[in-house]
Amino acid sequence: MTEAIVDWLKATSLSQAMSMSPVLWPICEMLHFIGLALLIGGAGLMDLRLMGFLKSVPVSAVMQVRKWAVLGVVINLITGVLFFIGAPGQYVYNSAWYYKLLFLAVAIINVAIFETRQGKRMLTLAAGEDTPASFKIAGAVSMGSWLMVLYFGRMLPFIGNAF
Amino acid sequence: MSELLSSLESSGFSTWVRESPSIWAYPTILTLHTLGLAVLVGANWMVDLRVLGFARALPLAVLSRAFPIMWAGFWVNAVSGVLLFVADPAKGTTRLFMSKLAIIAAGVALIIMLKRRLYGRAVEMDAAGPVIKAMAFVSIALWVAAIATGRWMAYAV
Repeated sequence: MTEAIVDWLKATSLSQAMSMSPVLWPICEMLHFIGLALLIGGAGLMDLRLMGFLKSVPVSAVMQVRKWAVLGVVINLITGVLFFIGAPGQYVYNSAWYYKLLFLAVAIINVAIFETRQGKRMLTLAAGEDTPASFKIAGAVSMGSWLMVLYFGRMLPFIGNAF
Repeated sequence: MSELLSSLESSGFSTWVRESPSIWAYPTILTLHTLGLAVLVGANWMVDLRVLGFARALPLAVLSRAFPIMWAGFWVNAVSGVLLFVADPAKGTTRLFMSKLAIIAAGVALIIMLKRRLYGRAVEMDAAGPVIKAMAFVSIALWVAAIATGRWMAYAV
């Protein structure tokens, strides 16, 4: 099953372009690292406020950088899918990739739960107000899981011998 | 110079970083370099974007706290970068690497200038000026270029 998907993907012209072109893959890598910096910068700032740092700023003000974090995630999902299509075997037979996806899922589910359950309450927290424990946990889970996504992403060539 | 580099390359430490199968050698140093990049550039871009007029509800005063975070990222990358250089000194003689270093030097100089301008005198006076906006714009572009040259080093022969 997995092998069939890998073979089918590798036969696509998009996969051929990604693996044959001398510039496509490096350009996607550059974009992937730019997306990473946007994500860590934006999410890091929001997570710090949720965790109870930077209390002099209302939570709603910090949330204004959310669009930059989202932009980083979108850039990285697109380039990530292109890497996967370009060399599927490097990922599907690689345990580091499954850990990366696991922590990506944790990060996204954490945001989804927090936004739906606390989204409105969050915006009422004014300057100087501390965050409740549930906010601190959500911020710590977010920061921790994004750092694990970074870790297992960087470790892809070194864990699992799939490259 | 090349003699110095080749003796560095054949040193025990260089060989360890380059060839050790341990996850604590090359892979960990590379991961720290990526983490430092994300912290330095991420914090820097948030300040730059605010100066350019995005996220206006965020007071510039609180973003002064982003500067120590940038420096933390910078030093992690200065140290991990030296270790990566020691592992493969030949890469350190390329024009590409020299360009990367020059871009980083300019980027760091701009961080210092931007901080002085933002917090040196009355914040409101300078914050919206065209000069500081131009500095923020160039700062974003320099770190894009630093990432691009750094990534390209993995593919250039």
